[in-house]
Amino acid sequence: MSRLRAASAVVALAGAAIAAYLTVVHYSGGTPVCAVAHGCATVQQSRYAELGGAPVALLGLAGYVAILLSLAREDERARTATAFLALAGFGFSAWLTYVEVARLDAICSWCVGSAICMTLLAALSITRLLGAPPSGPRA
Amino acid sequence: MSSDPVPTKRELRERRRAERLAAEHADAAAVARRARTLRLLMAAGVAALVVAVAAIASSSGGKPAPRAATADLFRGIPERNGVLGDRAAPLTVTEYVDLQCPVCAATARDTLPALVRDYVRTGKVELEARTLHFIGPDSERAARVAAGAARQGRLWPFLEAFYAAQGPENSGYVTDEFLRRVAAAAGVDADAALATANGAAAQQRLDRASADARRLGIDATPAFTVARGDGAPHVLASGAHDARSLAAALDAELRR
Repeated sequence: MSRLRAASAVVALAGAAIAAYLTVVHYSGGTPVCAVAHGCATVQQSRYAELGGAPVALLGLAGYVAILLSLAREDERARTATAFLALAGFGFSAWLTYVEVARLDAICSWCVGSAICMTLLAALSITRLLGAPPSGPRA
Repeated sequence: MSSDPVPTKRELRERRRAERLAAEHADAAAVARRARTLRLLMAAGVAALVVAVAAIASSSGGKPAPRAATADLFRGIPERNGVLGDRAAPLTVTEYVDLQCPVCAATARDTLPALVRDYVRTGKVELEARTLHFIGPDSERAARVAAGAARQGRLWPFLEAFYAAQGPENSGYVTDEFLRRVAAAAGVDADAALATANGAAAQQRLDRASADARRLGIDATPAFTVARGDGAPHVLASGAHDARSLAAALDAELRR
């Protein structure tokens, strides 16, 4: 397994763990343990915490699992799929971070952690896609 | 004196072949790079589209605005500055609440409808609400905006809508956005209520509620006080009370 692929898997696992924790908290009706006073509860109870009736944390978990599955193979199509998923995750994380700062006036440290994971995954997956060795001329 | 040996025909053929293969490799690599860049740009474009749709859905959808559990409860009953009902009613009942208090929410859900139906609508009682803020900062923020709702003659619907959306105590859920949704559900002008919340009128209302509660020895919510006409109020009930026991206490007051 290439270093970039292994690093991506580690970061995706970290992101999945964060998303899984937030999903469990969402369904148990509790409040996430938060380093910033009230920030996580404010974000979690806002209308942005759900999308189409599904908790955003659950959607994030699904995204991380999909990234992990795309990392199982080392071919052009799998590398493109990882890049697409990571870029979509990065874009949505950027939107949610904007919402936290500009609209909710609250920062959820777990969400920031997940946004960092998605940013790293986007950078790793782009580097992996563009830097992969050419498949070589067909003889 | 030495000179480079002249390459043989075979060596020349092999050199040319190696150069051709290297050129083919370079061409293939360039084509592959272009194809990957194109794929990456397409993936980024589709990802941007997906994110844009999700962001629009996230902004316009999400959790519905809280609905007042008893939206019709107060319909047609006049409210002025937080006082509900007929001014000429023989008794004035004042409920002291903290908007974060779950027992207050339960009382509003289970006890208030009968109180309003049997005593306020019938002109026996005028009902006032005073918002305390002893639970924490979220209570104060809520109480301030409630003062704005009272100014618009919509305090009671605001209280109902707030209870319907009540969150965990002191979790920081009482944001401006939350209060706007509660205000919208209660038919309160949110901008005006939030503006009032930061002013002296809201502060005076909070101070008065706290001072009166202290004077009457109220240390739990909800607490109901009762006064006849312009007489001094006294505590009628404190803490959790069902509709029947509150009605019995009110009937006793009315018979006096």
